[in-house]
Amino acid sequence: MQKYEKLEKIGEGTYGTVFKAKNRETQEIVALKRVRLDDDDEGVPSSALREICLLKELKHKNIVRLHDVLHSERKLTLVFEHCDQDLKKYFDSLNGEIDPDIVKAFMFQLLRGLEFCHSKNVLHRDLKPQNLLINKNGELKLADFGLARAFGIPVRCYSAEVVTLWYRPPDVLFGAKIYNTSIDMWSAGCIFAELANAGRPLFPGSDVDDQLKRIFKLLGTPTEETWPSMSALPDYKPFPPYQPTMTLAQVCPKLNSKGRDLLQVKCIFRCFLHLLNIFKVKRILLLR
Amino acid sequence: MAGNFWHSSHYQQWILEKQDLIHQRQADLEILTEDEYPKLMIFFSNLIQQLGETLKLRQQVIATATVFMKRFYARNSLKCIDPLLLAPTSVFLASKVEEFGVISNSRLISTCQTVIKNKFGYAYSQEFPFRMNHVLECEFYLLESMDCCLIVYQPYRPLVQYMQDLGAESEVLQLGWKIVNDSLRTDACLLFAPYEIALACMHMACVVYQKDCKQWFAELNCDLDRIMEITKYILNLYELWKSYDERKEIASILQKIPKPSTQPPQPGSR
Repeated sequence: MQKYEKLEKIGEGTYGTVFKAKNRETQEIVALKRVRLDDDDEGVPSSALREICLLKELKHKNIVRLHDVLHSERKLTLVFEHCDQDLKKYFDSLNGEIDPDIVKAFMFQLLRGLEFCHSKNVLHRDLKPQNLLINKNGELKLADFGLARAFGIPVRCYSAEVVTLWYRPPDVLFGAKIYNTSIDMWSAGCIFAELANAGRPLFPGSDVDDQLKRIFKLLGTPTEETWPSMSALPDYKPFPPYQPTMTLAQVCPKLNSKGRDLLQVKCIFRCFLHLLNIFKVKRILLLR
Repeated sequence: MAGNFWHSSHYQQWILEKQDLIHQRQADLEILTEDEYPKLMIFFSNLIQQLGETLKLRQQVIATATVFMKRFYARNSLKCIDPLLLAPTSVFLASKVEEFGVISNSRLISTCQTVIKNKFGYAYSQEFPFRMNHVLECEFYLLESMDCCLIVYQPYRPLVQYMQDLGAESEVLQLGWKIVNDSLRTDACLLFAPYEIALACMHMACVVYQKDCKQWFAELNCDLDRIMEITKYILNLYELWKSYDERKEIASILQKIPKPSTQPPQPGSR
């Protein structure tokens, strides 16, 4: 621990305090995540173990780099590359305006990092602006793999208690316990819309019910025809048959306004739409 | 994490050289003979297997725990941490890493006590001496010794794939699977890639059942010498088993293990 000089507290992570620090030898700025070892009998918390073992395998420019793991007494400290802010804080600094080129650049990097995770059979499971770090050079990095897990190993039930409510897909909201990469892609789609609207969240639900209502109001309530297995989900409950009243173009007006940019962005949007198709909502092709 | 072995920490950091292993074990081999060391490793692999089965863990978790223990002793002397403590610690950590959930404090220790008493009474006359605080401390050293490389690839999945590709009968697969289990009691898992171990085990199973696999292996683009080397490791193990009665001999070998000093062990701490 002598190697690093603590500078300031950055925040509280899933399982411990995060500090900004400086490597005394190289002057490099890093983020130190101190793992709290609670008195209960879990030992090194599973969330910390996940982060350690997955980041050990995931080395990519759009994924936060784990430099080192330090052991001292009964403490564990993870040494990460330091990023200046997260996407949430970036949104707060925007005043409602965002350059479409930035939307494109961030979204591209988010998807590239995610593609890398998925190609390594890792689901992030908790994508949200707070977990996307941004550095001075405009590079975006996926962070906080405390809820992530490797998939492809014979699937046991996953916990339904993952992913912050706003970025949670409807099947998970209905208690689905088996899911795949679409969980992250749904979140990525929500973040895309939020980016395009300079930080206004797409579905800011206050509880599970409200969350589903917001999704269905925008996309239409799925029916037994459009989503046959829906009512079999553990926490399924019927919702009023909302009809979609707004187009996605209305929801994200800025995306449409810049014609040429839109062409670039559209492939991403199509990807989002494709995801919505997983959810079997077929009447929302309203981009144009 | 299937399919990315070549980029994994397992491949990059944990396929060791034989010379390296021999060198690391030198201190222990001044006290134990060349035969006794593997006998100990077999014994503690068996202990992990028993603990795992009693705790109803999947074989994948048990295999990972076994590899954890082997990685630790590939970097440390037996005197750093008593393998009787490291074995349950490996099980505890592997269960979390493999997403099998946390094994509760009381369940782990009581399982250790029961298994030692009922299954390994011939090796230990006394009760299991460790408590959870020992396990938790040991977990740190284990993590550190492995440089936090926790994702372990196992031969089971490639074995199943190759067997399917060959069109092998289920009894051939079953035997291959058993041989993979046995291979965990050799150094193979530290020296060779899991797919190589799978190939060796598959070949052995085919030979036993006189299943023709010549053509299949001839079309493979892999180093058959290495496969033969793995086969040798496994055959040596079977040879050892034939001439050795664990129940009679192990207690005296366990006596010889250099004991950790009373100070907390500090293997290669930074």
